[in-house]
Amino acid sequence: MSTSIGVWIAAFLTLGIMSFLYKDNPIYKFCEAVFVGVSAGYWFVVEFFNVFLPKVYDNVGIAVNVLLVQGRVDWFHWSYLLGGILGVLMLLRLVPKIGWISRWPLAVVVGTTAGLWLINYLVSNAMRQIQSTIIPLYVAGDLNATIGSIILVVGTFCGLIYFFFSKEHKGAFGGAAKIGIWFIMITFGASFGYTVMSRMSLLIARMDFLVGTWLGLIR
Amino acid sequence: MKKIKSILFSFFLLLFLFNLSFPQESSDPRPPTEIKAFDTPNDNGHAITVIWKLSADDGKVKNNVVAYEILRSDSPEGEFEIRGMVPVGENLFEDKGAKEKKDKNYFPSHKNFYYKVRAKADKTFSESEVSKPAFAYGQWYHTGKTTVLAGVIVFSVFALAFINLAKKGKELYIRPLAGIEAVDEAIGRATEMGKPILYILGLGSAEMIATIASFTILSRVAKKTAEYQTPILVPCYDAVVMAVAQETVRAAYLEAGRPDFYKEENIFFVTSMQFAYVAGVNGIMLREKPATNFYLGKFYAESLILAETGSVAGSIQISGTDEIAQIPFFIAATDYTLIGEELYAASAYLGKEPVLLGTLKAQDWGKAVVIISLILGALAASFGFQFFLNLFRVQL
Amino acid sequence: MRKTLPFALVTGVGFFMLVQYFIPREEFEIVYEWSLDWIIVIGCFAMLLGLWSLTMASVHKVQRKTPGWGYSIITLAGLFFMLFVGLYPGQASLVRGSIFMLLFEYIYIPIQATMFSLLAFYIASAAYRAFRARTVLATILLLSAVIIMLRLIPLGPLSAINQWLANFILTVPNMAAKRAFWIGVGLGATATALKIMLGIERTYMGRD
Repeated sequence: MSTSIGVWIAAFLTLGIMSFLYKDNPIYKFCEAVFVGVSAGYWFVVEFFNVFLPKVYDNVGIAVNVLLVQGRVDWFHWSYLLGGILGVLMLLRLVPKIGWISRWPLAVVVGTTAGLWLINYLVSNAMRQIQSTIIPLYVAGDLNATIGSIILVVGTFCGLIYFFFSKEHKGAFGGAAKIGIWFIMITFGASFGYTVMSRMSLLIARMDFLVGTWLGLIR
Repeated sequence: MKKIKSILFSFFLLLFLFNLSFPQESSDPRPPTEIKAFDTPNDNGHAITVIWKLSADDGKVKNNVVAYEILRSDSPEGEFEIRGMVPVGENLFEDKGAKEKKDKNYFPSHKNFYYKVRAKADKTFSESEVSKPAFAYGQWYHTGKTTVLAGVIVFSVFALAFINLAKKGKELYIRPLAGIEAVDEAIGRATEMGKPILYILGLGSAEMIATIASFTILSRVAKKTAEYQTPILVPCYDAVVMAVAQETVRAAYLEAGRPDFYKEENIFFVTSMQFAYVAGVNGIMLREKPATNFYLGKFYAESLILAETGSVAGSIQISGTDEIAQIPFFIAATDYTLIGEELYAASAYLGKEPVLLGTLKAQDWGKAVVIISLILGALAASFGFQFFLNLFRVQL
Repeated sequence: MRKTLPFALVTGVGFFMLVQYFIPREEFEIVYEWSLDWIIVIGCFAMLLGLWSLTMASVHKVQRKTPGWGYSIITLAGLFFMLFVGLYPGQASLVRGSIFMLLFEYIYIPIQATMFSLLAFYIASAAYRAFRARTVLATILLLSAVIIMLRLIPLGPLSAINQWLANFILTVPNMAAKRAFWIGVGLGATATALKIMLGIERTYMGRD
C-alpha cells in the first residue's frame, strides 16, 4: 500500500468519480466541485504565464524599452499593445452602459477566422479531397485495385448524393442516397470499433493505478 | 631461398618506384555550367533559386561527381560562403532564410547576391562561373493558388445568385431533416414538463464554424423558449463563447418581446478544461433534470459521456457536430443527430429566411460541380488524362 | 456606429484575411501573424470574464442557499486556492514539484484520467443501445464496428478473413464516406464563412 498522501488523495478522488457509475452521490458531487474549481484556477494561471506575459507584457516591455533607450518606435512589438487594448475592450462587457464596446474585439475575432476558415475548409476539406478521389477507375493487371477504385468513387458519389438538400430522397436519387448512408454507417462503425480499444486501455490504466500504485497488490 | 627473396624484393621496389614516377591519372571533374540565379517565385521575398547544367562528369565512373555545393557572395570577387549541398544528379537549390533581422539565418530581400556551384568529386572539385546578380523580393500574387481563387469566385457567384433569386421570392425547396423537425417538439416537451432546456455549444472556440452554426440554432431555440417562457441553460466551455451566447440569447428574447424574462446567469462559464467541463455539465443534467438537451457544435471524446448521462437523466436529446469521430456516439446515444453539413444547414431550416436558403442552394450546386468533376475526372484519369486532377491541384 | 462598426470590422478583417492568402509578401505575412496573436490575447483577457461568471454563479448559489450550495463553496475554495498558489509573487508555479503542480498532479490528473476511463463503460452501453435499435443502419454500424474491433485479436482460422475485411473497410468504404463527409463539411463551412463576411449571418453579434 502506498504511503504517499498524494496517491491516497488521488485514489479517493478516482473512486469518488467512479461512484458516479452507480448513481449521483455526495462524494461524486464533492469531487466534481473540486475538479471544476481546481481546473479553472489551473487554466487561468497557465494562460497568464504562457500567453499574457510573453505575448503582451514582454512585447510591450520591449517596445517601451526601445522607445526610451533608442528613441525609435518598434512597430512590431507595439502591435501587441493593440491586442491588449482589444482584450481590455472585451472586459467592458461587465459594465452594462458601455458593454456594447465588447462587440468590437468580438468582430475582430469572428472576422479574422471567417476569412481564414473560408480558405482552409475550401482547400483542405473540399479541393484536396476531390483531388484524392480523382483516381483511374481501371488499374491494368490489378483486379483488386480496380474494384477498390470503383467502390471508392461510387461511395464518394453516393455519399455526396445523401448530403444533397435540394431534392427529396425518392426514386433513383433516393436509391443512391441510401447506398450513401450505408457507406456512412460503415465509416461510423469503423470509427466506433477503432475507439473501443483505446477507451478500454484508459480503464486498464486507472485500475493499474488503484490496484498497483495505491494498494500495491501488483508490481 | 635467399635468391628468391632478393628477386621478390627487387620486383616490389621496382613496382613502388614505377608508381612514384608515373602517378595514377586523376584530374578535377568538369565544372557545372549555365548557372542561373533568380528570385524564388510565389514566396515572401527571402529566397533565391539557383539552377545549373550538371557537370559532364556527373554519373561517370572516372572523376565522378559526388555532390554539388552552392556558394554565395555579396560581390563577384568577394569571399564566397557555402549555402548548401545537393546530391549528385540534382541541379536545383533554393537558398532561403528567415525574414527577421534578429534571426541567425536572416536572408535579406532586395540585396544582390552572386552564386557559383562547386562540383565535388572524391578528392577534387571544380567550380562554375559566377552567376549574374539576383535579389529576392516578395510577389503580389501566388500563381499556384489560382485554382483556389477560382473556387472562391465560383462559389461566391453561386451564393450571390441564389440569394438574389431567393430575395425575389422564388420558392427554394429543401428536403425535410428529422433532427430539425424534432426541435419544436423537443422545446414543447420541456414546456409541458415545466423543465428547463439544456443547450451545449460544444468545446469549440467562438470563431469555429461549428460553434457559429450552433449560435444560429441557439438564437432560434432561445426565441421559442422566450415565447413559451421555458428556462434555457447554456453552460459554456469558452469565455468568448459565453459572451457571444449571452448576446445571442438576449437578442432572441428581445425579438420575442420578452426581454424581462432573460436571465444572464443562465448562460454561464464552467471551465475551459475538457473533462472538468463534462463533470460540471453532468452535475447540471442530474440535478436540474432538463427535459431536452441540445449538443450542437464541436465535440471530442467527452461527447459520449454527455450523451449517456443525458440519456440516464431521461432527456430527449438532439445532437450535431462536424467531428466525424464523435458522430457514431451521438447516433448511438441521442435521439436525433445532425451529421456534418446538416449542422451548418440547420439555421436555414429553422429560420427559412431567403438568404440562408440561397446559400444552402449554393452548397448543393457546389456539390453538383464536385460530383460531375469526380465522375469526369475518374473517367479521364482511367484513360491517362490529368486535366481534372490538375484543376484541383493546390500549391502551398 | 454601435451597430454598423462591428459588422464593418467583420467584413473588412474577413476580406483582408481572405486576400492575404493569395499575396505571399512579407508585410501581409506579418499582419496575418499579428492577427492570430491578437485572437489569442483577446481570448486570454476573456478568461477574466469566465472566472467572473464562475465566481458570481457560485456566490449566488451560496447567497440564495439553493440546494447543493455547499459544493459551490468547495468550487470557490478550489479556484481561489489554485489562483493563490499559482500567482503568488516569486513562485515558479509551472515548475514540477511546486505546490501548484502538485495540486495539478494529485487532484486534476487523477480525476481527468478517471473521467476519461468512464468512457469504457459508456461505450459498452452505447453499443448495447445501438444494437437494441434493430434497424438496418444500426446493424451495419455495429457489424462494421465488430469487424474493426476484432482485427487485432487472434480468431484462429477466421483471423485472416477478419483482417482482410477490416483492411478493406478501412481503406475503401471508410475512405469514400469520409471524403463525401469532408467535402460536404468543406462546402458548408465555406458557405457559413461567406455568410459571416457578407453580414448575412449576424446572430453572434446580438442586438440592442
